[in-house]
Amino acid sequence: MNVENTQIEMTKRERTAPLDANFFKKRMSQIVVKALVYILLIEFMFVFLFPFLYMFTNSLKGPLHLADISSKWIVRNPQWDNYREAMDKMSYWRGLKNNLIVVLSSALGQILSCSFIAYGLARFDFPGRNLIFALVLFSLIIPPQVLVIPLYIQYSNLGMLDTFWPIILPTYFGMGLKGGLFIFIFRQFFRSLPRELEEAARIDGAGTFRTYISIVLPLARSPILVTAILSIVWHWNDSFQPSVYLMVPERSLLSMSLNLLMTDVKNVYESASGMIVSPLGMAGAILIILPLFIMYIFLQNKFTQGIERTGLAN
Amino acid sequence: MKKIHLTAEQKYNLEGYKFVLPWLIGFIFFFAYPFFSSLILSFGKVIDVANFEIKSVGWQNYIKAFVVDVDFTPKFLETVRNTLIDTPIIIIYSLFIAILLNKDLKGKGFFRIVFFLPVLLGTGLVMKQLLGTQLDKELLQAVTGRAETSDTQVMAGAISTPELFTTYLSPDVAKVVQNIFNRLSFILWMSGIQILIFMGALQGVPIELYESAHCDGASSWEMFWKITLPMITPSILLNVIYTLIDSFTNVDNKVMEYTIKVAFTNMEFGYGAALGWIFFMFIGIVIGLVFLILGRFVVYLGDR
Repeated sequence: MNVENTQIEMTKRERTAPLDANFFKKRMSQIVVKALVYILLIEFMFVFLFPFLYMFTNSLKGPLHLADISSKWIVRNPQWDNYREAMDKMSYWRGLKNNLIVVLSSALGQILSCSFIAYGLARFDFPGRNLIFALVLFSLIIPPQVLVIPLYIQYSNLGMLDTFWPIILPTYFGMGLKGGLFIFIFRQFFRSLPRELEEAARIDGAGTFRTYISIVLPLARSPILVTAILSIVWHWNDSFQPSVYLMVPERSLLSMSLNLLMTDVKNVYESASGMIVSPLGMAGAILIILPLFIMYIFLQNKFTQGIERTGLAN
Repeated sequence: MKKIHLTAEQKYNLEGYKFVLPWLIGFIFFFAYPFFSSLILSFGKVIDVANFEIKSVGWQNYIKAFVVDVDFTPKFLETVRNTLIDTPIIIIYSLFIAILLNKDLKGKGFFRIVFFLPVLLGTGLVMKQLLGTQLDKELLQAVTGRAETSDTQVMAGAISTPELFTTYLSPDVAKVVQNIFNRLSFILWMSGIQILIFMGALQGVPIELYESAHCDGASSWEMFWKITLPMITPSILLNVIYTLIDSFTNVDNKVMEYTIKVAFTNMEFGYGAALGWIFFMFIGIVIGLVFLILGRFVVYLGDR
């Protein structure tokens, strides 16, 4: 953006000077560059949109359509029933309810705990602070595979297996899925915040805890939004934790019920072009990402702004 | 005992402990304890699960991973190879897209929506389903009725465009091209967050630098190498580390899958822990090297 603006300014300045061949050359090359940029972006966009189109058309096909090589993209009489069947087979509503419970409580936990901890790290210069921050970053680079076995035994001794607690509980203590990253995001934001307001509150006799709740937290809207979206998305898509801790069907999350659809031989067909396709699986996959997609459409603008404002990049 | 006098400022700073207390509790129970017990576990064998009784077996678990277990080594090497190949591609690609998206374009909002889609869906089983890795050999046999199934069919995911390749190319060439294409589109799908981080960094580069460079007659190409790239080195480092971390829980990570299978299906807790540690050692070495190599080139604005 910046570069572009300056270039436009420059060309304006040049316009007052006599037009020479050089100017036209420059102008032409600018147009060519711009066209190339569009072509490249559209090209890459295809990589991302293609799977959705593919999923959608195939989710509407029946075995007969798959055998018909002439209908690849456009489906004659689409089988909307596939969606109903997928919903039944994967007990969609139960999974959705479980997903919402896990995802919303974990996201809330990470927003509350990570912002609280990050405030302590950003504003107070107590002994051991740098060590703690280093440990926060260290906890990020440990693969979950290393920790999962003792944690599993720990939760099984506490009788927490097949409940949502192993996933939700750590989020209220600043751990959980990528918790360290959220602490990092909040800390960066708090450090960029001017101290004046807090100092005024301190002079007025407000305790640190009150200052945090009533002054600092309301200002932290953009990192809260970023944390909320990332936490919701990552928990929604996470297959690692549920596959270890949740085994009974009553507690299964959406992503796990997709597995049931995919491995059901009766619903998987070989298409005319030799591909293995499961229309029900495709319908199920669309149903799983649909809630996320709706959320994203509504929040995407605020989300990208939030990322820019939180200074994740610095 | 002598009473210690603290200034008001010091007293205030000590209140920081109140804020990090939840983290300390969480760190002990959900990190430090499992961390060390998994280290001990990796050198032992669980005899009694309820009481967490462990018998030490020395390096046996580690030796087993590389010498006895024929399944692990290829999976580990594949993951190592994928990590080392994918990370640079993701970094270069996401920087490239970030630069393009950072230009003044019509329909920028729309492009952004599309390019951040992978942030939403780049992980998880939906992704795996798209790649078709979910389909195991037995299932394929049941469907096609053939004993031998080709790689083409296992890779039947939506992301590739195999039909095009298989129609116009000879089968052998098609297979190679298709594998590359499959991996590449998968890699592109992993780069959502990285694009975001780079875009933020690019916007943080002071415009004055470009202006003065332009006055001095620098071309856009020179400006990229002399201004943009050095200015965003901190986020390159951040992105490399993030990409490495992200690959742990990647659905494509065969080592992760195998570790879960060993630990929770075969109930070999000690061996599973050892596998986790082997993977961690590898990641630790890579991150160390990245810091050593990239750390030299990183430019912090505060230094000047």
